[in-house]
Amino acid sequence: MSNKSIIIVLIGLFIASFSIKNEYIFIVPKNWPKPHYDFTKNILSENKIELGRKLFYDPILSRDNKISCASCHSQFTAFTHVDHALSHGIEDKIGTRNSPALMNLAWHKSFMWDGAINHLDMQALAPMSNPLEMDNKIGRVVASLQQTILYPKLYQIAFGDSIITGEHTLKAISQFMLTLISANSKYDSVMRKQIEFTVQEKNGFELFQKHCGSCHKQPLFTNLEFENDGLPVEKTLNDYGRMNITKDAKDSLLFKVPTLRNIEFSYPYMHDGRFKKLSEVMNHYASGIQQSKTLSKQLQKKIVLTSNEKADIIAFLLTLSDKEFLFNPKYGFRN
Amino acid sequence: MKLKILFALFVAIFCNGYLHAQSTDKILFHPTFGKSALHLDDSCYTKDSIYFSQLKLYISGVEFLNKDSIVWKEANSYHLLDASDEKSLYILVNSPSDLKFTKIKFNLGIDSITNVSGAMGGDLDPTKGMYWTWQSGYINLKLEGKSKLCKTRNNEFQFHLGGYQNADNALQTIILNVSENKNIDILIDIEKMLAAIDLSEQNQIMSPGKEAVLLSEKFSKIFSIQKQ
Repeated sequence: MSNKSIIIVLIGLFIASFSIKNEYIFIVPKNWPKPHYDFTKNILSENKIELGRKLFYDPILSRDNKISCASCHSQFTAFTHVDHALSHGIEDKIGTRNSPALMNLAWHKSFMWDGAINHLDMQALAPMSNPLEMDNKIGRVVASLQQTILYPKLYQIAFGDSIITGEHTLKAISQFMLTLISANSKYDSVMRKQIEFTVQEKNGFELFQKHCGSCHKQPLFTNLEFENDGLPVEKTLNDYGRMNITKDAKDSLLFKVPTLRNIEFSYPYMHDGRFKKLSEVMNHYASGIQQSKTLSKQLQKKIVLTSNEKADIIAFLLTLSDKEFLFNPKYGFRN
Repeated sequence: MKLKILFALFVAIFCNGYLHAQSTDKILFHPTFGKSALHLDDSCYTKDSIYFSQLKLYISGVEFLNKDSIVWKEANSYHLLDASDEKSLYILVNSPSDLKFTKIKFNLGIDSITNVSGAMGGDLDPTKGMYWTWQSGYINLKLEGKSKLCKTRNNEFQFHLGGYQNADNALQTIILNVSENKNIDILIDIEKMLAAIDLSEQNQIMSPGKEAVLLSEKFSKIFSIQKQ
């Protein structure tokens, strides 16, 4: 082989290794449904995901440079707001809802408790613009990113263009969020027949499937639909959920069914965070359901649970904690 | 060397000639208030002293029809017209020069599929300020200004019209007859719009719904071909 051809081969290998490193393969966990997100319109790459992660943790997105996505979505609480019933944003202003936990978003077809957002790419616009959250505008965000030394370089690497656009900003944030997959809890290991539930967990799992499983459907632990979970209206908020968006009385008090994965860490619970403990949630479903025209079909017949049975269901719910997800440095803040 | 320059010149002239073989018609939009051009901010119209501060709208899906069949379709056809930016008010058309057509068809607004397809670039980039943030969806049209008729703060009126779902779909299709011209001049007469509504009653619409659809229908009727 001549020197020249060796050099050509080496260059080829170098380019190949670079493109392989940059490629990101989205792995659908075994026996999970097909994701809803259309990856063909936003092809994943390591560089774009890394840019998205950087943006997710950067307060530059907020008007006063103090609030980042992670302020209300921190990894160790399954990307929700630790210990806050209603999330607070810019200048400690209190919002109207409990920030949802972020995971397995590629399977979701709408976002927010009321489904106001129709696509993961557009989700980040909402907190960015909300006067109680980041109180900014995407146009201003793009302009401030452009003025930094770092970001034009990162956009050049990720998108091949150092001119920052709203489209690329939103797509990069989407890419990072798409990688937040939680599928490695004890429950998952049991399903893969690697380990077994304890007797109590097993009993809890059976009760769960009977009483909770149709809305909190496996394997995502949500049916991704909107349901009225029988909570009385909170008089200080008067939040009618989905109806605020559709203006249809049929949607009064309907909220999106949240996932129960990592629920041990994502307290407080419900759309307004009114319950601090899982036992309070159990008590609500067993004896606190408020009848109304739009009450979920599944809740119309009273759920009867003994206190032991409630404890068993909670024991099962704790098997949905995924430490690998909660502490994976890939999802965390890095400089 | 000289030969090379001559060759480059020849190529340039040839290519130029080739490009001219295709018609590069323009579709020009002219926002007006009755017979005069629409000015933003400084001008005041009619006895109700109306001022306009913003007019932005999306034109999409541009097609030429010969009688009723489509003879040309613009690819990736999304245009944001901004009355304050003259460059935004025309669309360059690369249709074949010998194309015969009698009608132009376009949409006022953004179709529902685009509304649910995630982040887009160019004129559809959310930085253009034509995308709702609290609820997903494009704003098809923004008209803002002041009128003594509006008993609102600073007498302001604001119409942000959009909506793509089912009965709230505010997209309007407009078909206009055209005579064969190099350029197609389309008037957007805001006076006709204001004649069709009562500003004292209707002056703040900023979310999808019945009102937005009805108003969008009225807006679709203020487009006309400028007579030569």
